[in-house]
Amino acid sequence: MERIKVALQVNGESSVLEVRPYETLLETLRDRMDLTGAKEGCGMGACGSCTVLLDGIPTRSCIVLTAELDGAEVVTIEGLSDGTKLHTLQQSFMEKGAVQCGFCTPGMIMTAKGLLDRSLTPTREEIVRSVSSNLCRCTGYKKIVEAVEAAAVGAEEEA
Amino acid sequence: MREEYGVVGKRVRRTDSLAKVTGRALYTADLKLPRMLHAKVLRSPHAHANILRIDTSKALRLPGVHAVVTASDGFGVKWGVFKYTQDHPMLAPDKVRYIGEDVAGVAAVDEETALEALDLIEVEYDPLPAVFTPEEAMNEGAPLIHHAFPNNINIHVHIEVGDVDKAFGEAYLVREDTFQAAGEAYSTLEPYAVVASYSNGYLDLWMPNAGPHVRAKALANLLNMPLNRVRVRRICVGGHFGSRSEVSPGDFVASLLSIRTGRPVRLALTREENATCTRQVHDMKATIRTGVRRDGTVIAKELKVVYDGGAYSSTGPIATSIPYYVYEETYRFPNVRYDGYRVFTNKGIRGMYGCHGRAFLAGNEMQLDLLARELGIDPVEIRLKNGLKVGEETATKSLIISGGLEEPLTKATSVAQWKDKWSRLPKGKGIGVGCVAIMCGFPMGFRSGSTCSVKINDDGQVTLVTGVVDTGMGNESMVVQIASEVLGIPMEDINLVNADTEVTNLDPGAYSQAATFVGGNAVKRACEDAKNQILTLAATKLKHPVEDLDLKDRMVISKTDPKKTMPMRWVVREAFFQGKPISGNGAYMPKIDLQREWVKRPYGQMAGTFSFGCSVAEVSVDMETGSIALPHFCSAHDCGNPINPMAVEGQIEGAVQQAGVAVLMEETRWAGGHLLNPNLLEYKMPLACDMPEIQTVIVRSNDPEGPFGAKEGGLTTRMNAYSAVVCAANNALGVPLNELPLTPDRVMKAMDIAKTGGES
Repeated sequence: MERIKVALQVNGESSVLEVRPYETLLETLRDRMDLTGAKEGCGMGACGSCTVLLDGIPTRSCIVLTAELDGAEVVTIEGLSDGTKLHTLQQSFMEKGAVQCGFCTPGMIMTAKGLLDRSLTPTREEIVRSVSSNLCRCTGYKKIVEAVEAAAVGAEEEA
Repeated sequence: MREEYGVVGKRVRRTDSLAKVTGRALYTADLKLPRMLHAKVLRSPHAHANILRIDTSKALRLPGVHAVVTASDGFGVKWGVFKYTQDHPMLAPDKVRYIGEDVAGVAAVDEETALEALDLIEVEYDPLPAVFTPEEAMNEGAPLIHHAFPNNINIHVHIEVGDVDKAFGEAYLVREDTFQAAGEAYSTLEPYAVVASYSNGYLDLWMPNAGPHVRAKALANLLNMPLNRVRVRRICVGGHFGSRSEVSPGDFVASLLSIRTGRPVRLALTREENATCTRQVHDMKATIRTGVRRDGTVIAKELKVVYDGGAYSSTGPIATSIPYYVYEETYRFPNVRYDGYRVFTNKGIRGMYGCHGRAFLAGNEMQLDLLARELGIDPVEIRLKNGLKVGEETATKSLIISGGLEEPLTKATSVAQWKDKWSRLPKGKGIGVGCVAIMCGFPMGFRSGSTCSVKINDDGQVTLVTGVVDTGMGNESMVVQIASEVLGIPMEDINLVNADTEVTNLDPGAYSQAATFVGGNAVKRACEDAKNQILTLAATKLKHPVEDLDLKDRMVISKTDPKKTMPMRWVVREAFFQGKPISGNGAYMPKIDLQREWVKRPYGQMAGTFSFGCSVAEVSVDMETGSIALPHFCSAHDCGNPINPMAVEGQIEGAVQQAGVAVLMEETRWAGGHLLNPNLLEYKMPLACDMPEIQTVIVRSNDPEGPFGAKEGGLTTRMNAYSAVVCAANNALGVPLNELPLTPDRVMKAMDIAKTGGES
């Protein structure tokens, strides 16, 4: 079977992969790299559980082909913390009780990270609009929105 | 006055959240074991057909395929919760009964090869006429889905209390309404997956499950293996809501494939398979007749409910009864007749959603409002008048030991400013109230109880072993919090070993609202046992009366003499020296009537206790389109005493989404036996932008039996939020809403009927 050579930087580490033409980024992350933080909830870009940052933009990795990503930079939930200290979003999701079953959490946090990268001081409406791209079945979203609000304040204070 | 605890009642960070926010928490589909194979399942394309022949030889010859299994590889055992409901073979031997039913399983080196092999399996079917609604199925001469069940009636539950006909004769006002509700999808974010690994006669299993011990027992039966060789392991579960309670065909298929190959086998279902081939929610139709006195006292109820049961019995009699029970646990019914019929259809397998029956409750609650309106009584008043109180019994003889409806009802309506809004809102805007009470645990024989053991290591750190399972609601953190409180150590000193049938003992599971009340009680007792051992030994070492000693901050302390202290770990080491290591055991069996049987003897104490709750919804209806907006929602839940208030709030808020907002949009749609919306684009569920402003009220009734007074953490909202929205819409429009969910088309239809036919 034909393989396509792709140079990819994932969580700061560069690697050259030979991927199948129809391999999704989610498959590459989960099956090749054992980065199972991104989840497959629907396989069609509806739920957002597989969200990662692709060149800084929150992206559904289940509907992106790795073969098209030569030279791209990917950050997954595993790459969000610097290894010693949690990201403010991770911290606030824990403190605010925004995590229940946790299946949507990695994708939700990466979506929120995309928002906070664009805007240090998002309004509540902007936060609601942003996380409305991801499905959560457990929380009713209230504590998720609160967690992102708290993280935005924390990030601003640190900045 | 409320007792103050060290950690119980505090808004603590859940113990499982660090793994979940860093992406390190493992769910079943994340597992990768050495030599692991990948499985796929061949499913029935027919809603109803005899299987004439299955030929797997071509599939077996495909390179990369390691095994193909069909029903003939099993042991001919059928699954069902009760002896009289054992009808589900898990792999169809001679007949398929729904589209998507498991026919054969393939294990191969990868999923692609397994999928390719499915195409090479030859199955010859003889299609049979099928039935897709209970009405069709119950018709004389309708095709029988199971031969032993005439008219396809799977279960009939009949409950009769008092003299119903006489009471109707005495009623001042009688009203009869019929409600019907479409089924819904659980839509757990995690699609179903199983990893089975058989080696040396032992089978290890990982899957999203809400009761490892119940699951292991079912699989031991299906696989003809002893229980100690079927080891269901702990793994993170991506949501449950009732869908992961019972054994799944995939468990059986993956197990057979692993036994056949001697290698680990991973079976991960797609979202569409999850929707069509794991459990779904019962559609239902209820005819409700209620008789009241002039003052609003309900004196007669007659209820007939027909549930679309799908192809197999599943939890049959339980599913047929629970909607009624949660209703009789709420209100006083001196005279009531309930007839529940669960009917087989050629649709997917069914389960219980939340507690089950919220559409039935919504019908009853809206009818209560219609009666109240005719009598000129406020909906809150009529509920207060009929709500059960502590010390009263339900119609079928369950004693209420704590709570009662009054406090949550009064608090929710006060916070929501009911008095300022009821009957003062303009047309198109409405406010509605929904109430419910729910059993904490129910009769499951000797599996109704939970057991726990606790080991104190020689450095004073604790290992807590319990069958309690966490499917997302925070049960793991809850039991650690309880142990921390009893043992006077920080939560981080406790290592939890749970939901692993090799080492944990029986527990009812995250099912029937038993985790806190039953499992939490067992944990508390085990820790108290260990604490007593520690204090007894410390008393001799400190030469101080044991009654004056306590545990705090990892120390044995005296309540009166600050000098009498000793690190807990010293006592633990001394116990090792004496050959009596500190090891606590505890069990809790709720005080329920175990003679109770769902069909034959539906009377007696149902559960150890009941939680009560009330939701108030405000809606705004677009009269042009029938679209309903939900700007504000308030829910009060009596959880006894919140172990972690933040977790209880989270349960209530999630329930507002999954019931309160769901009633506006969620339904499974069918064309015959085809599910039309099996994916997450077609099946609409609420997003953050769909959510109302939510106020949660935690009511503390301090249950005399519950651990630290606790009951369960939020299920009442999951049931009554649905009712509150339906009642609010009824209030806004002034017309009965007999078809649920309240999608714009149904709302417009109800308005049209009211216009043309007059209000019923």
